[in-house]
Amino acid sequence: MGGQREKDDGSGGDAALLRAVARGDATAMAALYDRHAGWLHARLTRRCADPELVREVLQETFVTVWRSAAGHRGQEAGGWLWTIAARRLVDARRAQERAGRVAGPLPELESSGRYGSAAAPSAEDRVLAGLEYGDVGTALDRISPELREVLRATVVDGLSTREAARLLGIPEGTVKSRARRARVELREALAQLNPSPLGGTA
Amino acid sequence: MTHRDSHPWHVPDDQVTRYAEGTLPEPDAWSLEKHVEGCTRCASRVSAAVGGTAAGAVLAAVRAAVLEPAPAAAVAAKPVPGPAVRTPAPEAAVAARPAAGAVGRRPVVSRTARLLWAAGPAVRGAWLPAVLGVAVAAAALSYGAGFPGARALLLAIAPVVPVAGVALSYGPHADPLHEVTAATPGGGLRLALIRTVAVLAVSLPLLTLTGLLLPASGAPAAAAWLLPGLALALASLALASFVGCRAAAGVTGGGWLCAVLTPVAVAPGDAAAPRLAEQLSRCLDGVAAQGAWAAAAVLSATLLAARRPAYDRPLRP
Repeated sequence: MGGQREKDDGSGGDAALLRAVARGDATAMAALYDRHAGWLHARLTRRCADPELVREVLQETFVTVWRSAAGHRGQEAGGWLWTIAARRLVDARRAQERAGRVAGPLPELESSGRYGSAAAPSAEDRVLAGLEYGDVGTALDRISPELREVLRATVVDGLSTREAARLLGIPEGTVKSRARRARVELREALAQLNPSPLGGTA
Repeated sequence: MTHRDSHPWHVPDDQVTRYAEGTLPEPDAWSLEKHVEGCTRCASRVSAAVGGTAAGAVLAAVRAAVLEPAPAAAVAAKPVPGPAVRTPAPEAAVAARPAAGAVGRRPVVSRTARLLWAAGPAVRGAWLPAVLGVAVAAAALSYGAGFPGARALLLAIAPVVPVAGVALSYGPHADPLHEVTAATPGGGLRLALIRTVAVLAVSLPLLTLTGLLLPASGAPAAAAWLLPGLALALASLALASFVGCRAAAGVTGGGWLCAVLTPVAVAPGDAAAPRLAEQLSRCLDGVAAQGAWAAAAVLSATLLAARRPAYDRPLRP
């Protein structure tokens, strides 16, 4: 955890670990687990109140890593791991829902884009680019928790509309409308707080 | 948020602590989460902090579970779920290819093992011990008790063994999901034949070798039962398309036993063994007898091919 190895221990270290994991190296897997399992657990816990399910999803994620490590293509290892974990969480939610409910009529199967949020990328980019500024945080605090969790699932977690709907247990149409409303409210809140950087283009 | 070689910003220590405790407010947590995806150093810091909380025990347990099984076991045990998995699917396909050396080859072994395991409930149930029992009993009878007609007796019983295996391994009684199985593309006659092959692969070598170990004492050669065994197994399968596996096996196996054992039953006690050997010679020895069995096997196979559609529906019990 020393600050001096920051340069050579970027995602390069993770990529090497993943290559070793693909060869079946348990030591590399242990190192990868120790580096990433903690924050994955915390991040999953923020999105799922059931600790047993979180544990299950975490384990399945790393079992998938054993299998899929060879498929890692040099992208950020953390982001790659989160993609797996998020999809596993969505799957687990869906399985749980299926087991708990006799027959839930699914909302209309619309062939939406892979990332439902892709319709307004500029707004997301602005949100993410602005995350280091205090007023974006304030603006996010102002919108309702329902809108915020939709925004989190689609923007931060990179889930598709359908996956977000499964994760949150709401219809796809609701995800779309809430995402739209969240963006509008965010834009308005930001415009109120600080009209100069965003107000002009909105 | 694309990859950058060096992040100008890193997660402050107080945020790491509060995130690990689960008390960090949403906007700050989002920024931390996005940053950790690309910054190994902060990922390690957050993970270490989470390990120090109550979640540490869970993390240790999952760590043991992830590291304990060999990778190949994890590969074999984990089917890729349906269409919900979008990104990992092609990666899994890549990983499944045996490019990764030893790790990639091992699932093949386990797949074969699973195929053998699925070869028939009978193989792993009562039938295999029964075959072993017949072989051991024949050997024990011959060497232990000095019974001279052991090979003849073994030859008389041997053709029934594969028939019984076939009867036990396919049909509604052998498989609770038989109706579903019969309707699948891999089910039906194909599955029945795979299981028959599995049955024959065990019983043919075992019984023939046992026969070779026994003294001849007038009985036909140890391999003489192979063609009758095949013919009876095929006849059972063909007949099963009409009346079901168990009834078919009863007819063919019972018919054989009647044909071979009837003269013995009417003979006086002492002469039983020679009479059995004599009767078996009549049934098995010589080109004519073996030719007749071969013809019967071909005939049964033809009938079976013609009756193939019957196997696409569930058989009678």
